Amino acid sequence: MIEPKKFWWMIKKELISLKRHPARLVSILAFPIIMILLFGYGMGGEMTDLPIVVVSQSEGNLTDLTLDTIKNTETYHVVEVIDDLDEGKQRVESGEVKAAIILPSDYDDDDSNNQKGVTLYLDSSDQMASQILESSTQGIFYRLSNMVASQTSVSTQNANITPSIAHSLDNFKDDISLHINKIYGNIKYIDFLVPAILGMTIMMSCMMGMGATIAGERETGELARLFMTPTSVSTVIGGKIAAKLLIELVRALILIFMAVLLFNVSIKGGFLQTFIVLVIGALCFVGFGIMLSARTSTQEDYAQISLPFSMPMMFVSGVFYPIETMPWILQKLAYVFPLTYLNDAMRGIMLKGQTLGDVWLDLVVLLGFTVLFFIIGVKRFNRDV
Amino acid sequence: MKNAIETKDLTKVYSNNFTAVNSLNLEIPNKTIFGMLGPNGAGKTTTIKMLTCLIQPTSGQATVGGFDVQKNPDEVRNLLGMVPQQVSLYKDLTVMENSQLCADYYGVPQDERDSRIEDLMELVDIKYAKDKRVGQLSGGQKQKASLVASLVHRPDILFLDEPTIGLDPTTKRILWDLIRELNDSGHTIILCSHDMHEVDMLCDNVGIINTGNLVAYDTPQGLKDSLLESNKQEMAEALSKISDENDVSAQEDIDNLSLRKMSILLKNQDDEIIESIKQSDDVKKIEIAHNGRLNLKIDSFDDMAVQNVLDTISFSGGVIKSVSTEEPSLEDVFIKATSEVNEDDRA
Repeated sequence: MIEPKKFWWMIKKELISLKRHPARLVSILAFPIIMILLFGYGMGGEMTDLPIVVVSQSEGNLTDLTLDTIKNTETYHVVEVIDDLDEGKQRVESGEVKAAIILPSDYDDDDSNNQKGVTLYLDSSDQMASQILESSTQGIFYRLSNMVASQTSVSTQNANITPSIAHSLDNFKDDISLHINKIYGNIKYIDFLVPAILGMTIMMSCMMGMGATIAGERETGELARLFMTPTSVSTVIGGKIAAKLLIELVRALILIFMAVLLFNVSIKGGFLQTFIVLVIGALCFVGFGIMLSARTSTQEDYAQISLPFSMPMMFVSGVFYPIETMPWILQKLAYVFPLTYLNDAMRGIMLKGQTLGDVWLDLVVLLGFTVLFFIIGVKRFNRDV
Repeated sequence: MKNAIETKDLTKVYSNNFTAVNSLNLEIPNKTIFGMLGPNGAGKTTTIKMLTCLIQPTSGQATVGGFDVQKNPDEVRNLLGMVPQQVSLYKDLTVMENSQLCADYYGVPQDERDSRIEDLMELVDIKYAKDKRVGQLSGGQKQKASLVASLVHRPDILFLDEPTIGLDPTTKRILWDLIRELNDSGHTIILCSHDMHEVDMLCDNVGIINTGNLVAYDTPQGLKDSLLESNKQEMAEALSKISDENDVSAQEDIDNLSLRKMSILLKNQDDEIIESIKQSDDVKKIEIAHNGRLNLKIDSFDDMAVQNVLDTISFSGGVIKSVSTEEPSLEDVFIKATSEVNEDDRA
């Protein structure tokens, strides 16, 4: 039997409590808005504007028409049309673009009896983007051939198509073959997902764990006892970081083993390099946790303060979807979050077989964030418990 | 060094402009037990936090064992031990492990560490539970474990914040004995408590803090004597109001004053005897309780007043079966001291 008066008191107490903790209130109100924005804009839309280059080694009307069609297709964002094949491949391999569409030198050659081999040089490590690019590119050339077929019936009377184009396009369907070169082989969605899931798990556990350690001990008074001893803040915090890091290393090992065991995930760059990247990531997020918990006095406060950081980071940093497919504002936001760099480095090592040297920029950024978080955390840390 | 702790105009204003401690001037002599009293929110905790270097004062000065809390915080921390109200040991560690952790944080030499801990455990009688996890201990055992962890570095000054709250009477008495023993062995003890009996019994000096100020400071007996003196003056004023101005409301003032109380049970109680007691100069109020006892308030702290009342009863033919007296308590002092400030605030 519910006693209405007491029941109401519980509601009233919660409302008063919220009113007296403005940070919690703002967080509670802002959180659903952020999530709606992220899901609605970031994940709900179609994948468009995937960066590509076109390597055009031919000249002529068919080439022009093909280039126009590619440029007018929303899926692509043609960064540049170049004629150097090696440069095109290099830009895909470096991750600058997702694919290179390579039109061969005989593409506009009317008299050639050879089949015209168009190549889609594809970064298959980005599983979702590569699937979209593959089907879009196939679709484009299919549409082009259909268009030509219908236009051939009006043949030379068509003011827009010269006889030579009409001839070229007439033979398009038979003459052109699309070769797809997936530079990292066939990658399943799970392969794409696992490196980032590892990074995300490390992020969540480090951030939540540090909250429990710092804010929780502040709440129960254990931290007070430590701070009454002649011990520096950095010693106490450093010790806690080391303990957390140790736990996270074990967790990282388990995660990697489980990923291999359960999902048969391949680690092209080697186990040790993957492990090192995860350790750097763990250090960074422990620092993030320290920074956020520096002034929070209860675990509940910490949870409310950390959620607006951890959840958007999870969805914006390219864990589930490529960053390039998000609206520009979210793309910019992604580069402010350290998880983006951890994901990038993890995918580089695990999927592309890159070395630590190849992903040095990601690692430098992660270490930079780490230093920044620790400095702010220790400076802001409040001995008052 | 005469004083273990000295503060001069010590002030703490929080970022929301709330002044928790306002120009506090306090001296706690060495090797004494000092009772720090005050209502909730009076500024006791903030004062302790400043003295234990957990927060910085906004202005003023505080020295602990001769060291400035702002200039030499580590030296101050080495001199201090703290037994907080909320037992703040790690619940998943054993009593021994918690004590070792604290010893190491205070830099106790390794070769002495465990023997010191064992000695302290014997002193507070918790050695039998040294390998038990703190989370598994009873309230009293936790407090004892907390004491061991707080004393392991042999601090000169020990802060005890409500050390006996929630403990059973037997464990309370054991802890009181322990506090006395620690004081006898040279520790200065600052005891924060709402248990007035505990403070009255243990402390050499008592300070009452209210709204960030020290509103009373003396020995427990001195405080009670002052209260009695002050009440006597008020009593005189109230009585003159009644007799000169026929102001009946002044009777309420008398009722609220804490004077020496006397309770008498007579074998042969009658109106004549009661009237003769009422006529006595020393008796200011008389009530007949439902069990037949006469409850009196007498206006003098002098034992002669008690004797005079007893003589009056004898002369009237009364036969006394039992008699007891009660002094104004420290609780009366506390209520008086804190209510005066509250009234000032309201004004």
